[in-house]
Amino acid sequence: MKQTRAFQKSLVLTLPALVFGFFVATQWATFAVPEARDVTIRYIDPLGETVTALQREQTDLRTQLADIRSRLDDLQRASGQQSGSAREIQAKVDDLKASAGLTELRGEGVSVTVDARAGSGSEVRPPCFAPDLTDIVNAAWRGGATAVAISGERFVASSSVYCVGGTIVVNGSIVSAPLTVAALGPPTAILAILDDPAQLRDLKRRRDQQTIDLRISRVPLLVVPAYRGAVVVRSAAPQ
Amino acid sequence: MRSRGGALAVAVVALFLGVLVVSQFRSREAYSRALQQETPESLTRLIADQSDRNRELRAEIFDLQLRLDRAQAAVAGGRGSLEEAQRQLAQLQVFSARSRVTGPGIAVRIDGPFDERALADLVNELRNAGAEAIAVNDARVGPRTWFGAGASGSLVVDGREVRGAWTVGAIGAPDVLYVAMTRTGGIVGQFELIYQRTRIQVTRETALDLPPVTSP
Repeated sequence: MKQTRAFQKSLVLTLPALVFGFFVATQWATFAVPEARDVTIRYIDPLGETVTALQREQTDLRTQLADIRSRLDDLQRASGQQSGSAREIQAKVDDLKASAGLTELRGEGVSVTVDARAGSGSEVRPPCFAPDLTDIVNAAWRGGATAVAISGERFVASSSVYCVGGTIVVNGSIVSAPLTVAALGPPTAILAILDDPAQLRDLKRRRDQQTIDLRISRVPLLVVPAYRGAVVVRSAAPQ
Repeated sequence: MRSRGGALAVAVVALFLGVLVVSQFRSREAYSRALQQETPESLTRLIADQSDRNRELRAEIFDLQLRLDRAQAAVAGGRGSLEEAQRQLAQLQVFSARSRVTGPGIAVRIDGPFDERALADLVNELRNAGAEAIAVNDARVGPRTWFGAGASGSLVVDGREVRGAWTVGAIGAPDVLYVAMTRTGGIVGQFELIYQRTRIQVTRETALDLPPVTSP
């Protein structure tokens, strides 16, 4: 009789404990659902495909733009030979184009490559390198670079670098890692600035902590492509 | 002898093509993998940004095609293409920052401690919002402009010392620039948290007058 009562008592405690335990486990499992089961995952593939399609369209549009620019240049050049004033304007146009980054340039320079190091947690989400890239570009100009490109995107007066999540966008175009900054110009002067401990402090610290790979090298022949984006001048008027 | 040389050439070309294919594949793979890691919110923003950029490119293609047609007609009619050359010159004078420019935009006044990295970030943000011409006080920001730290809290723009308070003038669509700077979580909000002793004021301007770059 005593044994039955003791059993009933323990059952009174055990049953709520079991229910509570089951409840806790269910809640825990709900919280611990892997990201892959999140309802939003179903949208990632179609959204990613749309981004890829838009990027492809952008490449096509840039090709078309380059073609029209080149046809307009040919026409200008041909008709520029007709009169003195046309020749003079054409020479100014050519000079400004080179100075604005609308022509390809070749020569010696420095290449800087940045990438997340494997095992540094970047597999979850790649780090945002945009501020690092602006630091490198700033240092390159400071060192006397005459032309700079980030992973093939020429850096001009309208250029910007930004991150959307871990994706880097330069001149409106998505660039993927490893990121390479090509700086055309005097290699010794550019390297001196890049090696200066006051420059690229964050990048060098992360390189020393082995979370990123940072490679800086002198290159005897760099090819910096022409800017291929839109030249938007709507609000500003020259005086 | 000739066949050995031919085989070697084929082998070199095949090797080169192989490397090219693999590097293209790896680059595409890295690109797709990077997008797979993004959230739907990030991907939606990328879609919006890319759509804007493509619209801009289409508008420029349309505009250039019209200009090309007009110039071709002018040349065919014996009038030459001087008008088109002058138009191109005016556009490039602005884009290369080599001429004084006027236009509407915004002014960002920064009064208090500030540094060169923050200034570079502000210029980057203004460019991203569509600024067509930018100057820090009387120093125009050109395609090759760099920023540095000067003596006693001043800043350096292309080697020239620029003392605070600083006014960063940006020509472009005033409303677009203003919203891009002052939106919640935007760059000005971030500066206000980081530089708590610095007063940052953004105003819409109907007419800004910015000088040309002084460095090449």
